[in-house]
Amino acid sequence: MLLFFAACTDLEENLVGDITEDINIEGISTGDDQGGSDILGGAFAELRNSGTAFHSSYYSVNEIVSDEMVIAAKGGDWFDGGILVQLHQHTYTPVHSFITNAWNGSYNAINTCNELIANPALDNSQISQVRALRAYFYYRLCDMYGNVKLITSPGMDEVQSDRAAVFAFVESELLDVLGVADVSAGFDPSGSALGTDVNPFRINLYGALGILSKLYLNAEAFVGTAMYDKAALAAGYVIDNGPYQLCDAGCSVSNLGKRPAVDTDPDELSGYAAVFAPNNDNNPEHIFVVEYDEVSATGMNFSQMNLHYSSQFTWNFDAQPWNGYATLEEFYNSYESGDLRREASFIVGPQLDFGGSAVLDYASDDDDIQLSYTPAINELTPNSLREAGARPGKFSFKQLGRPEMNNDYPIIRLGEMYLTRAEGLARAAGDWSLALPDVNEIRARAGVAAFGAIDADEFLAERGREMFQEASRRTDLIRFGKFNDAWWEKPASPAHVSLFPIPQDAIDASATGNPLTQNPGY
Amino acid sequence: MKLKLDTFLRSVVLLLFMGLLSTSVSAQRTVSGTVTDSENGEPLIGATIIIVGTGQGTITDFDGNYSLSASEGAQLEISYAGYTAQEVTVGASGNLDVALLAGTVLDEVVVVGYGSQREKEVTSAVVSVGSEDFNQGPITDPAQLLQGKVAGLQVYNRNGDPNGNASIRLRGLSTVGANVEPLIVVDGIIGASLNNVDPADIESIDVLKDGSAAAIYGSRGSSGVIIVTTKKGSAAGGINLSYSGQVGASNPVNGISVMNAQEFVAAGGTNLGSDVDWLDEVTRTGITHVHNVSASGGNGVTNYRISGNFRGVDGILDNSGFDQFNTRVNISTRAFQDKLKVGFNTSFTNRESDFGFYESLRYAVTYNPTAPINGADSPFPFNSDQFGGFFEALGLFDSFNPKSIIEQNTNTGTKREFNYGLNLGYSILDNLTLNVRVAQQNASNANRTYYPTTSLFRGNATSPTRKGRADIYNDNASFDLYEAYATHISDFGKTALTLTAGYSYQQNNFESTYMSLGDFPNNDIDFIDALETSQDLNNAGFININSDTSPDEKIIAFFGRANVTFDDAIFLNASVRREGSTKLGEDNQWGIFPAFGVGVDLNNYLNIEAFDLLKLRVGYGVTGALPQANGLSRAIRNVVNGSDGSVSTELVRAANPDLKWEEKAETNIGIEFEAGKLGGTIDLYNRDISDFILERNVDVAVYGVERRVENAGKLNTQGLEVALNYDVVDNGNFAYNTGVVFSTYTTELEEFVLDAEMRGNLGSPGQNETEMVRVKVGNEIGEIWGPVHLGVNDDGTNIFDDINGDGNLLTDQASALDPDADYAVLGNGIPDFEIGWTNQLSVGGWNINAFFRGAFGHSLVNTFRAFYEPVVSTQSSYNFMNTELKVDGLTEARFSSLYVEKADFFRLDNLTISRSVPLGDVTAISNLNVSLTGQNLFTITNYTGTDPDPALGDFGAASNGDSVNFASQDPLVPGIDRRNNYFSARTLTFGLNFNF
Repeated sequence: MLLFFAACTDLEENLVGDITEDINIEGISTGDDQGGSDILGGAFAELRNSGTAFHSSYYSVNEIVSDEMVIAAKGGDWFDGGILVQLHQHTYTPVHSFITNAWNGSYNAINTCNELIANPALDNSQISQVRALRAYFYYRLCDMYGNVKLITSPGMDEVQSDRAAVFAFVESELLDVLGVADVSAGFDPSGSALGTDVNPFRINLYGALGILSKLYLNAEAFVGTAMYDKAALAAGYVIDNGPYQLCDAGCSVSNLGKRPAVDTDPDELSGYAAVFAPNNDNNPEHIFVVEYDEVSATGMNFSQMNLHYSSQFTWNFDAQPWNGYATLEEFYNSYESGDLRREASFIVGPQLDFGGSAVLDYASDDDDIQLSYTPAINELTPNSLREAGARPGKFSFKQLGRPEMNNDYPIIRLGEMYLTRAEGLARAAGDWSLALPDVNEIRARAGVAAFGAIDADEFLAERGREMFQEASRRTDLIRFGKFNDAWWEKPASPAHVSLFPIPQDAIDASATGNPLTQNPGY
Repeated sequence: MKLKLDTFLRSVVLLLFMGLLSTSVSAQRTVSGTVTDSENGEPLIGATIIIVGTGQGTITDFDGNYSLSASEGAQLEISYAGYTAQEVTVGASGNLDVALLAGTVLDEVVVVGYGSQREKEVTSAVVSVGSEDFNQGPITDPAQLLQGKVAGLQVYNRNGDPNGNASIRLRGLSTVGANVEPLIVVDGIIGASLNNVDPADIESIDVLKDGSAAAIYGSRGSSGVIIVTTKKGSAAGGINLSYSGQVGASNPVNGISVMNAQEFVAAGGTNLGSDVDWLDEVTRTGITHVHNVSASGGNGVTNYRISGNFRGVDGILDNSGFDQFNTRVNISTRAFQDKLKVGFNTSFTNRESDFGFYESLRYAVTYNPTAPINGADSPFPFNSDQFGGFFEALGLFDSFNPKSIIEQNTNTGTKREFNYGLNLGYSILDNLTLNVRVAQQNASNANRTYYPTTSLFRGNATSPTRKGRADIYNDNASFDLYEAYATHISDFGKTALTLTAGYSYQQNNFESTYMSLGDFPNNDIDFIDALETSQDLNNAGFININSDTSPDEKIIAFFGRANVTFDDAIFLNASVRREGSTKLGEDNQWGIFPAFGVGVDLNNYLNIEAFDLLKLRVGYGVTGALPQANGLSRAIRNVVNGSDGSVSTELVRAANPDLKWEEKAETNIGIEFEAGKLGGTIDLYNRDISDFILERNVDVAVYGVERRVENAGKLNTQGLEVALNYDVVDNGNFAYNTGVVFSTYTTELEEFVLDAEMRGNLGSPGQNETEMVRVKVGNEIGEIWGPVHLGVNDDGTNIFDDINGDGNLLTDQASALDPDADYAVLGNGIPDFEIGWTNQLSVGGWNINAFFRGAFGHSLVNTFRAFYEPVVSTQSSYNFMNTELKVDGLTEARFSSLYVEKADFFRLDNLTISRSVPLGDVTAISNLNVSLTGQNLFTITNYTGTDPDPALGDFGAASNGDSVNFASQDPLVPGIDRRNNYFSARTLTFGLNFNF
């Protein structure tokens, strides 16, 4: 009996149905997959998982607080406790779920990076890439929340750093992996372990310099110290030494969204439109992009987020869209006619289905049952019209698309490097005319006339037109001092909202360790 | 209840009398024999044998055997509580077996853990309900037999789906992160499944309500224990065959008020030209058949009972219901001079279900009443063939033709449950027995859901590719139980002591597979049986597959109990269980659960004439509660696949190696009394749940993920339960008995990792991020929390109350927990009190049983109204709610007090009229009984939704074809009436019982 008892007191739990150990297996590279066959896949996948292109996290908080995108409450739909109105009107609070999600997503990513950095199987180049990636996530935290914990190994706890320390950490990490002590005239990162191989799903030295240039460009806004010259130097190094080219006429891909029955649909997408198309792999403008794939690399849902329910029939989507995101009328009107970027970026006007017939909305608010997107939006809440607002379509849709999209999403692309160098040079010298050469390079690709003169406001508008839907507008508005201005259905907001609040969940949860302090004003 | 078992306590007491008298026995012949129950042949343990006139005597042992010395011709008086005493004369033979006839039942026996006790000796709150007191009618779920019958037991099948199970709560919220449903024990087998017991086979149900009684069951007893005893074979008179049958008709009641076509158009709705009552289109009169046949018999040594039960139930929703066959066999026998007792029981259930789609009811409420059923009647060109001939309003969110859903799609399942249990009892000594129990259960589900290529609802009929979908789900759950315990009885004069000690090993295993794929060729056949035709097989990423196997989920325990009886009037019970579980953190797997109880038969000392019984009892017990999922103490990772074969993982849940038992300590004070025609029980209890288990936020910077499972807080519940019974009249021809059970409790959150949080999201469309229930330290559980609606502004928006009068209206959802928020408690989801009122009337051969049930003080959020009552301008293709609470001119949908309704109700739950039909001896059948039962006959309530029954937990929101997981509910969020309910029904049933 005793033996029986002894044998039957074993309480070992063998979790056969779950994965409890970290697994990192290298794939088999077939040569044309732009990398991604290494064991860094899990870390770079965090760019998707942290909400770069889905609803309710990083992308949403950065876009909806800006003047380029809005989600209006459409009768019974999209009110959602007022959280979208809060983002638009800058009245968000520490309990805002999207702001919480963006925080959590960033730290989930940082944890995966930290685990990988601790993995002895990584070589120096791989560790450098993951450190650069981690630095990018800390750049996001520095941009959004400012004062955060700097965690560099799994499970450790640290006291909350102030924004200057976070800035300094990102800078030093990037400089270190670039193998340079400083970015100054004649600096030479060519010895960096990151290398120069073109592999936009990973970070090479141009990618790291791109991130660093963004950091420097915002240094004054972030920590009060202007570093525009360094921004221009870093961006300039990428433009001058990198193998990348602006995707202009002749740089084209087939139009996967084409309806054979609709003559106005082009057979090919070229230039600016090709940079963001569903088949934008290997675009020469891509320096560091987030890989998306409808099957194996999911996390981009713009077709769902932006389009009206009935637009399902234009692209033959296998799921019904949500009728959420639209563009503010004023922003849409900031494009001059003939700007190729406007056509590439928005879906407006009467909609046709796959067969060329009118797309119908049986619950249409006006007497016209055909779905027709209008740039004007009648109101923010509670009863915005269902078809109101030009819909973001820069990351364009393909026929028979799934809720998950294929378009790779740029973090660093050459077009932005021109704008960064332009702004860096202009601000460093206090002379906006220094921005003209690079700005006109961008405008030429957009099919619009060169500027003869430019000021800060015009530069910001140009940057807006170029960078639409790339989650850059909030940071740009803050840097240009415009973020707290009034715009459509949004009164002027107090200065403190330029930093998001630290999520209340994070503050509460930190009470057992090193406590987090809320940002000022919340 | 029948007297079958007894404890040795009584025999010991009887010995006290005997001991004084049995000192001078002269050398005479030895007489021995067995005392049995004349009806079933079961031995009577502790029966008294006295030699008349001498005062000498003895009592029977465990097996009913006795032996004493007496002279030939002496008179023996054999008596046993509850039986008619009998005198026999000692003859020439030394063997004298006696069968006693059951008489008036004086001492009811109550089944408790690992044994039974006389009701008198019980020191905790235990209620025993016999089959004669069960709710009548075609009830499939055994839990519903008890609805309203036991004070403190809540049984609510809000989701009145014939395929759904009721929510069962004993004394309210007993745990947060663990199983909230009580432990089920069937014929001694713990953790048994109620689904495998047909109500017709149940003899009685005992409910152990408090911690001191349940503690012997350890962790699984934390939410209370329901002990089911099935009917057994009897030795009386050869084979007894009986039949009972019922046929019933159900109709939906309390539909939801929506606009008709004319009202809808007048309110600005899109007119599609038809006029359809959608609820009427998808519901029907459901016919239910129940047939139960049983055969029982035995020869006094071996007894058996075999039963077969068939239930064919049609739901009120078209194409929903089930056919179920259940069989059960109980056999008992004895061997080795009756020292060895063997009991064996087995049962098997096969249920073929048509689950239907509750969404059909939901969309019947919201679908445009001017929309045509068929595409042919569309007001504009419409490709009917694409949608199987049905009309669909395209381009709308969360809108599907309800008739198409229920007609085109199939949602079926087969559930099979099998179990057996073997009990071996061996009398090692007269006062020491050993019991060994082995039981196994196996349950499997095989569900098939098929959406043809023409179904818009989940069938993707609008897609040129990817049309049609097939879902296949299989699971298998097994449970093994091995237990052994020994019972020893000893006697120290006025004091008797019973000791029980044992070991228990329980193991659960579960495995499941799921597969979903689509894109089928056409609708010629149901391609669920020809999945190889799916075009999804040619496209990566469209097929959903997952499989899971649980670890060996074990509970291992050692337990002991001592029962002391002093003076047959003071009773002490003490037990302790040491239990370990695989589910907890490595260093916290084992816990100790003690219990202590004392009961005093006060009238034994006070001798108050008015009372026949006056008993006071006090119990205290600690139980544990385990989380439902496995591996919660461990870190869990997800796989990240690269496009080219690379594999990585990421953390999704952080480990908590310190995870420990959720512990429940409960004190119960009870008074039981009988005074002439009036009898009753009053129980007061206080319950503390500490270290309750909940998935909590942790510092994502430190842990890498923001969630892990923690011991998160403390809850206190205090409650009062009263059960009264009164024999108003009983004069032979006419009898009227009435009984009331009353219960009330409040649960307060005493400690929590946060000061407060909001839970219970309202959902889509447009009302996500709208959490309706506040969980706050120091407050009651179940507070519905939101702004107070005062009226409507000219622009159609809500006017909310500036509750704190500070001139600053703070009513947005983000401010819900702001100290300055203009929020108020709008109601509480948990009733203030609940009552059940039983009335039994017999006149001549007629019996009338009327059972009323009510719950008072609770509120429900009527979510249909919250979404669809404001006439929002842009949703003109949904129907609007049209209750008397509708506020004209409101065009803004915002959660507020407007949608929180008091849901007090009083209901005639069950009315049964039955008559025994006298039959002459010549007929082949006997004991013919006919009955007519009405269920849910009327309800008095002001609630405008379908059913005012409390919603004790929340299943969350779902929309646009998402599925609801009815297996998982949030007990911290009571009071939300979701849109996913099956509608309740009124049922009329004719029943017939007879014996052959």
